Amino acid sequence: MNLRKMLKSSMFWMLILTVAILTACSNSDSSSDNNDSSSTNDTSSNSDGNKESGSEEAGKVSIEFWHAMSGTGQESIDAIVKGFNESQDKYEVKAEFQGSYEESLTKLRGVGGTKDAPAITQVFEVGTKYMIDSGYIEPMQKFIDEDNYDLSQLEENILNYYRVDGELYSMPFNSSTPVMIYNKDAFEAAGLDPEKAPETFAEVIDAAAKLKTDDMYGFSMLTYGWFFEQLVATQGGLYVNEDNGRSGDATEALFNGPEGLNVFNFLDTMNKAGTFGNFGTNWDDIRSAFATEKVAMYMDSSAGVAGAITNAPFEVGVAYIPHADEVQRNGVVIGGASLWMSKGIAEEEQEAAWEFMKYMTTPEVQAQWHLDTGYFAINPAAYDEQIVKDKWEEFPQYKVTVDQLQDTVPGLATQGALISVFPESRQQIVTALEELYQGKDPQEVLDKAAEGTNRAMEIANKTKQ
Amino acid sequence: MTRFAHFWRKSVDGRAAILYLLPSVILFSVFVFYPMFRTIYLSFFLTDQTGNAAIMVGFENFMYLLGSSEFQNSMKATGLFVLYTVPITIILALFFALLANEKLKGIGFFRTMYSSTMGISVAASSVIWLFMFNPSIGMFNRLLSVFDFPQIQWLLDPEWALISVAISTIWMNLGFSFLILLGGLQNIDEHLYESSRIDGAGYFYRLRRITLPMLSPTLFFIITISLINAFQTFGQIDILTKGGPSQSTNLIVYSIYREAFINYQFGTASAQAVILFIIILIVTILQFKLGERRVHYQ
Repeated sequence: MNLRKMLKSSMFWMLILTVAILTACSNSDSSSDNNDSSSTNDTSSNSDGNKESGSEEAGKVSIEFWHAMSGTGQESIDAIVKGFNESQDKYEVKAEFQGSYEESLTKLRGVGGTKDAPAITQVFEVGTKYMIDSGYIEPMQKFIDEDNYDLSQLEENILNYYRVDGELYSMPFNSSTPVMIYNKDAFEAAGLDPEKAPETFAEVIDAAAKLKTDDMYGFSMLTYGWFFEQLVATQGGLYVNEDNGRSGDATEALFNGPEGLNVFNFLDTMNKAGTFGNFGTNWDDIRSAFATEKVAMYMDSSAGVAGAITNAPFEVGVAYIPHADEVQRNGVVIGGASLWMSKGIAEEEQEAAWEFMKYMTTPEVQAQWHLDTGYFAINPAAYDEQIVKDKWEEFPQYKVTVDQLQDTVPGLATQGALISVFPESRQQIVTALEELYQGKDPQEVLDKAAEGTNRAMEIANKTKQ
Repeated sequence: MTRFAHFWRKSVDGRAAILYLLPSVILFSVFVFYPMFRTIYLSFFLTDQTGNAAIMVGFENFMYLLGSSEFQNSMKATGLFVLYTVPITIILALFFALLANEKLKGIGFFRTMYSSTMGISVAASSVIWLFMFNPSIGMFNRLLSVFDFPQIQWLLDPEWALISVAISTIWMNLGFSFLILLGGLQNIDEHLYESSRIDGAGYFYRLRRITLPMLSPTLFFIITISLINAFQTFGQIDILTKGGPSQSTNLIVYSIYREAFINYQFGTASAQAVILFIIILIVTILQFKLGERRVHYQ
């Protein structure tokens, strides 16, 4: 009797304990979230009050820097920020991870234009038009002119993307382009030349057919609008009208024209032949598929090259993205993100932010950034740094990404489209791709995506103040 | 004047009642009524990029939604999702609750186990399921290949994605339904069973004639809550599929989120929210009209 009672009560305590542990586990997420948001609202006080008051006495200007880099990118940013804080004693930068690009943009919408806004925010390339229109920001050009900063030291192809009407609105930071990554061992096994990757759509289709085995697909591409944009641009095709949205507000999507159709037919051919592997919309899924030899060739960001080389147990090759057979290669559009300066914050905070941005673009910092992450150095002098030369010696694949960018033919197509509803348009492309893989007609799904984009642009133009 | 004094004195109960209701009225107004009316207001507008109402369009948002194949698809997916998850969750939970209601040694351990999913947040469990569904390294596909079954693209195949999300949702909701039903079972008076046992009633007879009728208020409660929850599912969709592939898991609440916070179209998003509100309202009214008749209150 007594024993049973004891058993019963111990069971009860176990239940309480389990529940407590489980809720503690799930709570730790939300509480750290809370910390995040409270520290963003109110930087100076609470948690690290001691350190804070110390630096306040020294008269340091403290600013926030919101970024969306996780993993190695975050580690590298933290190192850069630390380096900056130690390099001088006037300013102090605090880097804060704010979730994905979409999430951090949504958070910025809550504080944008007020004095609570972070001095620097990292916003992805397709948010460029949105940021310019938002009124939250101070154009970078103002500081460049005041400080007589020499822009010519930065990579021209990258500046082209962020320059709107001849003015630079934001400081380019992490820039990447797409590349095609392939499994050299599989190429050899299939009797292909591992040193010469296929260059055109037809060549890729051929190679994919040869590479296909029971366990391995020939080719794959993440279901993500960015890759589609790139494959259209390298054929010289425009995404929207009004010169890709650069000479006025775009009103009509052009991506359902012949160039876009080429891309969809290219994917459709392989999908119907069973040589195309669909690994969904998640970067990690497609990367692990490549590393576990489920697919022989795939498209990735240049920022994924480092990871692919380290994770794969086989020889990895990196190549230019393919283009349609009947056209010349135009090259790639810059992707990634840039740094935006907030408006409405104190002048000395803007000054601090500008100093930090200048620090970030120095060759030494850029060289380290390039090696840590695989993103481009926006300051090409970084490529002459010894550490970069050594690395390129060891992994010539890194150089391919830089060559591809520098071989790019400047033009409206490769400058990239400028529309404020890009996230929505990308969503439409994702749906179109998914429907294509289910066997629907390429032109039909593309037209549907174009229609959705047109409606989004129409509403955006109508409601713009 | 005397008339007023008379009125004042007569309405003393009414005034006291209002005073007592005031706290909840204020709280409801701030957190429920204001957002609700704001949503209805916004559903008649197109909004600019910062989410302010910009152009009044009347019922155009609604007309657009009702004619859009995407929204119809989203309604269909939501309906299917409710059908997949609610009945199975409740039947499973009832089964486990009946098992766990037996008085056996160590039954507390099983009660803890069966209700444990309640303690895990949607986000955490979705991430675990995400790993299990992974096409290259996931547990399910590994198991399938061990037994030489064909591989299934759990979250990537439009035919399977909704089912996969439903499976994980059933698992997540099981704990809560189980706990509520177990509580209901424990509340049933022991004497009823005792006297029926003396009369020689078998297990299933007792289940049908005593347990289920006595449990019906709890069942009714859990069905209502589960239905509303299923209509409002969001977290697992966001983490597992993001509404894809081919919109097959784009349930209404996720579609609202996407419209509002990715596309910044607060007008159409609000219109969707209003439609969802009306649907849930109708379902709940129907349920009260039809279901409550069968409920046996003591």
